[in-house]
Amino acid sequence: MQRIFQIDGEETECWLGHDGSRFVLNTPNGTVACQLDPTGLPGGYTLRAKGVVRELRLAVGPEATFVHMNGRTYEVGRVDPAERLAGSDGGTSDDRLVAPMPGVVVSVAVKPGDTVEEGQPLLVIESMKLETTLTAPRDGVVAEMPFAEGDSFGLKDILAQLAPEEE
Amino acid sequence: MTISKLLVANRGEIAARVLRTAKARGLATAVLRHVAEQEGPAHLIADEIVMIDGPTPVAAYLDIPQIVDAAKKIGADAVHPGYGFLSENAAFVAALEEAGVTFVGPTSETIDLMGDKIRARAFVEERGFPVAPSAIEDDDPATFVERARAVGYPLLIKPSAGGGGKGMRVVREDSTLETEIETARREGQRYFGDGRLFVECYIERPRHIEVQVMGDGQGNVVHFWERECSIQRRFQKIIEETPSPALTPEQRDEICETAAGIARAVKYRGAGTVEFIYAQDGAFYFLEMNTRLQVEHPVTELVTGFDLVAEQLRIAAGEGLSATQANIPQTGHSIELRICAEDATADFRPSIGDLLLLDEPSGPGVRVDSGILDGGKVTTDFDPMLSKLIVHGRDRVEAIARARQAVQNYVVLGVTTNTGYLDAILAHPDFASGDVSTGFLAEQSETLTAPGEDISDLLMAAAALSDERLVSDVMQIPEMHRKMGGWRN
Repeated sequence: MQRIFQIDGEETECWLGHDGSRFVLNTPNGTVACQLDPTGLPGGYTLRAKGVVRELRLAVGPEATFVHMNGRTYEVGRVDPAERLAGSDGGTSDDRLVAPMPGVVVSVAVKPGDTVEEGQPLLVIESMKLETTLTAPRDGVVAEMPFAEGDSFGLKDILAQLAPEEE
Repeated sequence: MTISKLLVANRGEIAARVLRTAKARGLATAVLRHVAEQEGPAHLIADEIVMIDGPTPVAAYLDIPQIVDAAKKIGADAVHPGYGFLSENAAFVAALEEAGVTFVGPTSETIDLMGDKIRARAFVEERGFPVAPSAIEDDDPATFVERARAVGYPLLIKPSAGGGGKGMRVVREDSTLETEIETARREGQRYFGDGRLFVECYIERPRHIEVQVMGDGQGNVVHFWERECSIQRRFQKIIEETPSPALTPEQRDEICETAAGIARAVKYRGAGTVEFIYAQDGAFYFLEMNTRLQVEHPVTELVTGFDLVAEQLRIAAGEGLSATQANIPQTGHSIELRICAEDATADFRPSIGDLLLLDEPSGPGVRVDSGILDGGKVTTDFDPMLSKLIVHGRDRVEAIARARQAVQNYVVLGVTTNTGYLDAILAHPDFASGDVSTGFLAEQSETLTAPGEDISDLLMAAAALSDERLVSDVMQIPEMHRKMGGWRN
């Protein structure tokens, strides 16, 4: 069974199997025999993999698994490849600015049809009491600016959309 | 005036912290809660909870008439404001006075004076205490830009009514001065409802050192030593400690006495903090006075053995100071880490989410002032600070070791936090040697956010084996196929 895991923004495609006695995770780096046993603590497990034994704390969120191990906390995003395929909608990620946080639009510097250069300020937003200027991710033409000054927006809303690049 | 029932007009960790002391002193206690707010530790401690409402949760906590009414309705004879929100709002103090409710803090006149950075600065300068070269817009708005230029670069623009680093901009080149002034003015207008500005000479590689003071309102003032707060991101502190590793005993006495002198000059009442900019050559300048309890007050408590909230309540009840200067010790070393829901690798972007698992550290020399509960939710409604981890050791080396051990064992799962980043700061050789300035985090950002050892295979194994759907799907595949490496559907 396949899964795509995302760690620090990097995606890795894995495949989990079972050889009759234990689980085997196939990663691009090789095959890892692994075992996870509860310790009794809330979210506590012992992980055996790659010849090491680690005590960890773990919580499974809707989109990511949080792992506390070696005194650090890590976030492992989980993507089901089948769902990703179904959810694909064509536009590429550098065409749009996606809201990193919910917030409010402070000012809008451009309008649809404007030609912009990479790094040019498109709008100023305020999230958590901090002002941030969002700039064009590449040279292009503005297709949409869905929010006006004073509008509130939610997490992952599209704040600016550039016209697709011509091939 | 005796106090028998205290309303804490705040939330989160500070509300819980104040309530604990109030209860220990035998007071009846109450705390506010916004109708849409998550349950927090304070709500479990208080005898009574007063629901408040407003267009946003923050607006509710800033709603003076509503909070004064709440105090009257429940028969509270005193209000503790915590920090932030209405803690430095003179109108709030005046409204409470009018309602016959005691404000646990200074007089509205003192708050007014110290809340206006320009008047405060002038007051301090007139009395012979050190201040940095500056230009004040109000002195002559028409020539402000010109006079700002004359201060020289780099310079720092600040809103006159500001605090907490909001709206502050460092300007290094003349070409950006005017646009930065406009941005600062807009931010000042929005955060504080006041767009007036001033600029001051920006001291390179400065340290931020502050002194805890406490006054009885009659002119008796003692200090509780200094705190070093140079570890800041976006002008906001995230690690504080005491004693400061930068000061010699003579400098320590000088800066602490200066702070006490400033507080004496206003006949200060209650707990306050005098903040200084400390230059590499040992010169120091008055920055501002915060007329409230600070976020970082616990480090002072751990080295002096005093409960500063208990002192505040004593003073508010007219019982005066419990200590004389000679019996306020500074024993061992204490460090505070602010645990924040933010991503240090993404420009400290605040993060939100459900708290899936919370296990906070404990042990000798470890104190946690927490504002969250397991199963709660972190939203964008309030500040991203979740809790504070405070440690005490016999010396700085032991305090750092304890802080590292404790922060590594601080388990917060479900929302991105800065625990790993805080540990990286504590592990940095410049932090260990005490050679830091307020620019330390920005200068060292790459080192501090560098990825550690690559353990992605282990993490993916843990994520895969804890994914119940994945595991059950794998086990449903006929055994023969399961065994075939690279089986794909």
